[in-house]
Amino acid sequence: MFSKPDSALVIVGHGSTLNPDSSGPTWGHADAIAQLGAFGEVHCAFWKEEPSLRQVLHCVNKREIYVVPNFISEGYFTQTVIPRELGLDGPQTNVAGRTVKYCAPVGSHERMTDLLLKRAAAVAPGVSPKETSLFIVGHGTGLNDNSAVAAKREVERIRALGIFGEVIAAYMEEAPFIAKWDELSTQPNVVVVPFFIADGLHSYEDIPVLLGIASTSPGAASATGAGVFAQNPYRLRGRTLFYANSIGTEEGFAEVILDQVAAFDAAAA
Amino acid sequence: MMDTNAALADWLDKGGRQIGQITIAKSADGWELRHIDDVGREDLCLYTITADARQLANLDDAGAYRALKTAPNLRHGWRLVLPDVATVHSALDAFYPAMIGVQLARERGELTPVNLRDTLARQTGMYRVTQKLTDEQAQSLIADSCRCDGGCLKIILWRISEELPVNSLPAEKFTVRGQNEWPLLCHEACNILVAGARKVVKGEPKEG
Ligand code: SF4
Repeated sequence: MFSKPDSALVIVGHGSTLNPDSSGPTWGHADAIAQLGAFGEVHCAFWKEEPSLRQVLHCVNKREIYVVPNFISEGYFTQTVIPRELGLDGPQTNVAGRTVKYCAPVGSHERMTDLLLKRAAAVAPGVSPKETSLFIVGHGTGLNDNSAVAAKREVERIRALGIFGEVIAAYMEEAPFIAKWDELSTQPNVVVVPFFIADGLHSYEDIPVLLGIASTSPGAASATGAGVFAQNPYRLRGRTLFYANSIGTEEGFAEVILDQVAAFDAAAA
Repeated sequence: MMDTNAALADWLDKGGRQIGQITIAKSADGWELRHIDDVGREDLCLYTITADARQLANLDDAGAYRALKTAPNLRHGWRLVLPDVATVHSALDAFYPAMIGVQLARERGELTPVNLRDTLARQTGMYRVTQKLTDEQAQSLIADSCRCDGGCLKIILWRISEELPVNSLPAEKFTVRGQNEWPLLCHEACNILVAGARKVVKGEPKEG
């Protein structure tokens, strides 16, 4: 692992004004990286929470700052909002005497595939992958980003490995719809991994309702939403279904953040 | 640039004792933070690591999520004992994110307030529509969302536009208080206010 005592790392998350768990994984990854001592300073910043993107640079003492978006794909936030709010005009920008190095989002790193495999194995221990349909669930239309493209890319990579009986991309708001999971899959076991950066309304409530493992949404997500993961496996529609936490809660994300910094340096070298 | 820990240590040395709703006291084990309303209480729950601060800051007394950390609804009933200035700094960053850094930037002359019109002009996507907010709507939205009693404790440093100050809140909303209180500064309208502006323009109800 590299050591950058004279640099700061800023991990950028979306955050939420409704969901108290939204920023948790981003803080968790920051804490893990701070523990490793890889950077002189580690900060988080959010679009919807504080520290905001407009505040965070004031909190950094170091002159060299790596910014890594904790986002699942390139898209509106990584290409428009974050550069605009931080005042960036390219991969490397001088902002008020500081050098800001803008790295690729975590979700586009090739290691994402390994993390999805790890998550799928952990949620369904002892279940034969060959007799399992693995679903990677993205949001689909409605969000101005490329998360559906990213989910498809991961599905193709995992499919090529030939480990699972089936690997399927499905979405909340566009076809193929995750609500039709039983029609889309043929294996006796079904593993569903939400391709999201944090647990929240989508993973606690919306997807469980679409899967049929929870009744209608009780409202804004709360800490109690986590209960949906404790009841695996679900037996319904003639199958055994395992439902995982959002991929962004995977601990390995901290390493992916470091990898994106290393990739920035390699590209700049 | 002065290290932020050193600047905080300097402020504490000079008698700095309050930030937002938190009071800071020297204790036998280092420093003790508690809610300002809880001074004198003996029945407080003891916490001892900075990571606890993030949890304490996240929910109010009723267990509701505090999206805006400078809202005047910090929960009661705890005290946080920390060994040194560095851990106090981390805890304060959790309770009042960015507020140490923003004030120090101001002291260095590096903090540029951004007027509301410029903040709204920068918005894209679903928030672009906020550019249609009238001055009148802006005054009333700010009066409602930013008011110290029930809204937000920050001191506003920006104006609606170069020509138009915010005139819908009392003078104290714009005035930094004494040395012993670390100021919570708003140098640019937050995303919550921008989201509120969108609701006003779209004629949506305030809540929900
Ligand atoms: S705009 Fe500033 S003063 Fe108003 S609520 Fe947001 S942070 Fe507080």
